[in-house]
Amino acid sequence: MDIILSSLMAAMLIGMVLSLVALGLNIIFGVMDIVNFAHGEFLMIGMYTGLLTAQATGMDPLLTLPVAGCVGFLLGLLCYGAFVRFLLRGPMLAQLLGTFGLMVFLRNLALLLFGSEDRAIHHGLLVGKSFELGFGVIVPATKLAAALLSVFAFGSVWLLMNRTRTGKGLLATALNAQGARYMGIPTERMNALAWGIGVGSVTVAGALLVNFWSVNPYVGLLFTMIAFTIVALGGFGSVPGAFFAGLIVGLITEIPGFWDFLTFTLNLDWMSRVPMTSFKYTWVYLAYFVIMVVRPRGLFGWKL
Amino acid sequence: MNRKAQIFVSLGILAVFSLLTPYQAFAVKEIKIGVIYPLTGGAAAAGRELRAGAELAAEIANKIMAGVDMDMAKKAGIQSLGGAKIKLIFKDHEGNPTLGADLAKKLILDDKVHGILGCYHSSVTKTVSAVCEQYGIPMINGSSTSPALTKRGFKWFWRTTPHDKWFTKDLFEFLTGLTKGKVRGVKAVPKEEILNLASACEKTEWGSHVSQLIQEFAKKYDFRLKKSLLYASKSADLSSEVRSLKAARPDVMLFASYTSDAILMVKTLKAQKARPKIIWGMDAGFEKPEFRKTLGDDIVGILTRTVFLPKVAQLKKVAGQVNALYKERTGNDLGGASARAFTGLQTWVHVLEKAGSTKPEAIQRAANSIEIPGDQLVVPWAGVKFSTTGDEIGQNVLGSGLIGQYQKDASGSLVLEIVYPFELASADMIYPFKGF
Repeated sequence: MDIILSSLMAAMLIGMVLSLVALGLNIIFGVMDIVNFAHGEFLMIGMYTGLLTAQATGMDPLLTLPVAGCVGFLLGLLCYGAFVRFLLRGPMLAQLLGTFGLMVFLRNLALLLFGSEDRAIHHGLLVGKSFELGFGVIVPATKLAAALLSVFAFGSVWLLMNRTRTGKGLLATALNAQGARYMGIPTERMNALAWGIGVGSVTVAGALLVNFWSVNPYVGLLFTMIAFTIVALGGFGSVPGAFFAGLIVGLITEIPGFWDFLTFTLNLDWMSRVPMTSFKYTWVYLAYFVIMVVRPRGLFGWKL
Repeated sequence: MNRKAQIFVSLGILAVFSLLTPYQAFAVKEIKIGVIYPLTGGAAAAGRELRAGAELAAEIANKIMAGVDMDMAKKAGIQSLGGAKIKLIFKDHEGNPTLGADLAKKLILDDKVHGILGCYHSSVTKTVSAVCEQYGIPMINGSSTSPALTKRGFKWFWRTTPHDKWFTKDLFEFLTGLTKGKVRGVKAVPKEEILNLASACEKTEWGSHVSQLIQEFAKKYDFRLKKSLLYASKSADLSSEVRSLKAARPDVMLFASYTSDAILMVKTLKAQKARPKIIWGMDAGFEKPEFRKTLGDDIVGILTRTVFLPKVAQLKKVAGQVNALYKERTGNDLGGASARAFTGLQTWVHVLEKAGSTKPEAIQRAANSIEIPGDQLVVPWAGVKFSTTGDEIGQNVLGSGLIGQYQKDASGSLVLEIVYPFELASADMIYPFKGF
């Protein structure tokens, strides 16, 4: 029983962080219809920001979140003002290739600056600590903190989007940019803001992840793929959709754990020989494929 | 004879001599050895050690060093080649087999190296040795332990280190010895207490072979392997792997990991409060200084197989002398990687000395007939002698392995104590593992 409970707990915790990773991608797509291939690279920048700030100042890695958020927000504004703004004038293909180019640029810039070595946080208030919940379920403290802070960050963005004038402006821009412009909403500023919030939320997710996940310049690719799956599953443009889809993708990544549960419950020898952990992300990609074929709108999507 | 005639005759004599003297004698001022190691990437820590080991061996070979009781330290350069010096050209393969093969081609075609040393990762050694075989350039490998490497019948490839089959057999001999009360400081442990095993190995050439060997030997020695999984060494998160291992409730956990993944694995084991009776690592990451520095006291009680431990430096005089020089240069003791890189280059020096030529065919003949006695080596082997027949061509048949355990010494610092071979044990074994 402890096997399945541990897997469920792990799935929920990582799912909450993954939701936050996907949120930025969802906002940018929702507001501007731009598919941002460089999303994982922004996550990587968030991870490096958290790691380097913690190492340089000696503060706990969890306290670096505001720094990562500010860096991400400003980076988002900069990317929009200096680059994406011009892409919007071109055809869809130019936008796709443009963000793809941004991804290659950021990854190689990180290689130049930080080298290709894996870096990880080894010291911190919660690093390496864990506690037992009962029934043999062990919860690593960093993951629990990251999950709770993700929910908090997610909730803040949701409130901003749904309960403020700025959020309504963003939503209006997303629904009909031209109409919003006629109503006096500064859509250009809204687009910049969407990039700021989108990149800011993913860099915060990066700073949370780096507490238990090592970082190198290539780490973004895995998360870009996962974020695409979450956005596709939750529905393009849907904020609550991203949250629930994150949890579902968390469960999908834990399929090997459920498999172990069956293996040792049924005590079947052949099942223990199936290398399920080697394929843990395969199921995520498979889910992406199935969603695109069966329900391209996603679970909560309103935009396609 | 007038002065003009004298000069004329002298020049004539000089010209005749220059024709008689072998071209090699003064044409070769330096011998270029291409060294391909992972100097960046996940195994960069190992790469630094390997590089330092090879550089120290080259330094000793190129200079007369009075304090080192080795033949190569008594002469400056390769005597049979007119005192030619060894020049190492380092390349970084980043753990990438394709890049390794490209670098080997560059070294052979552009740098015109006389031979290759490398590559640590078995997967890279596999592609690099294939390039060397294609171009007929000799390659000596000091630290890749996939058994398959010497099973290909290559003519230009020699390996000094013992390989994983021997090491895995050592592990099961050790476990069996534990049940028979042969381990120093531990009473005979009932076999049921350590019967259930689980293994996690990284999934490149090296790790997947180790995984297979563990499966084979577990069957042979009658242990129950309840879980055997492969993972990507570049994984940034291993929590599902660790949960899967824990789910099997093993008594003994076995790992084959490179540096960053070995650290991540132990950190995750700790976070998941895993508590098997024995944790054993197949060298590589489990023996790196970074592993020790990053994890500190958490690793007390963890076992690692190795070919060299600082304790050997106390038992073997020449190892102590070289270890002192190494420590002076790097601040660390010799480890499995650096000692084997040292031995790999030392073997190159002996082979070149015996060949007396830089022609590949002469080097090939010398390598196939060389026999370096154990007293010349820093590693605790009987020597270096390559097999030229059978199904393991190019394999050193005189190597052997050790199993060490991390313990705290009287001063409170972490040391690796020898627990296997039983007759070389340097301390009582800590059993069972006390948990994190």
